[in-house]
Amino acid sequence: MQSLNTIITAPLRLLGEYEIEVVIIGGVAATLFGSTQLTNDLDVCYARTSKNLEKLASALQSVHAHLRGVPDSVPFLLDAETLRKELNFTFITDIGSLDLLGEVRGVGGYDDVLDGSVTYELFGYRFPVIEIGKLILAKRAAGRPKDLIAIPELEAIQERQSMRDKH
Amino acid sequence: MSKAGEDYFLNPPPGSAAARAVEFGIDLTLTLENLKLTPEERIEQLEDFIAGVAALRSARRIGPTDAITKHDNHGTSETSR
Repeated sequence: MQSLNTIITAPLRLLGEYEIEVVIIGGVAATLFGSTQLTNDLDVCYARTSKNLEKLASALQSVHAHLRGVPDSVPFLLDAETLRKELNFTFITDIGSLDLLGEVRGVGGYDDVLDGSVTYELFGYRFPVIEIGKLILAKRAAGRPKDLIAIPELEAIQERQSMRDKH
Repeated sequence: MSKAGEDYFLNPPPGSAAARAVEFGIDLTLTLENLKLTPEERIEQLEDFIAGVAALRSARRIGPTDAITKHDNHGTSETSR
């Protein structure tokens, strides 16, 4: 049973522990920038190199990850080859939900998301976090109400960051 | 947070993104409070909130407040607290 008090930090620590190449995106990125919008899972864009997929598969196996919304009776082999065949995954694990995106709509793949990112040190690990302008692009491209309502606040935070950087 | 940073959120300049956010319905005083936290604290606050919401969801519905008698309301001396 996952603890709600570590529903974000535990998956983050897992990714850090296994040294997986990811960029934090989505609602947790928005939270890191100061947004008050809520989220209850961790979204990351991951590098699709063979080495990274191997490490990712090992990490996911260690927390008994399985696909969210898919009955346990449906066979799913969690290994690097399976990860290679698909792009985006939504997992539930022993420690919380984790969404893995090989590509972020409106931005692109891992290298595009990594470009311009800002590194944060979180709970003893370093993670790149998507650049706020790209996060806004991604939210606009996703187009769901929950994404769109996050944009005005993010734009205010972005504008404030720009003003601060100029001084 | 600098004075200018606080002013931007508390008194958004006309035409600014902050002004549009306020117009949209965003309470930027909450955003300002978030920005006073460290990034780790922002995530921990989010987790605390998630846990708090889950606790609220497990709350038991007792019934219409005006139907709750003094006898039912354990530990209080008034009705309908």
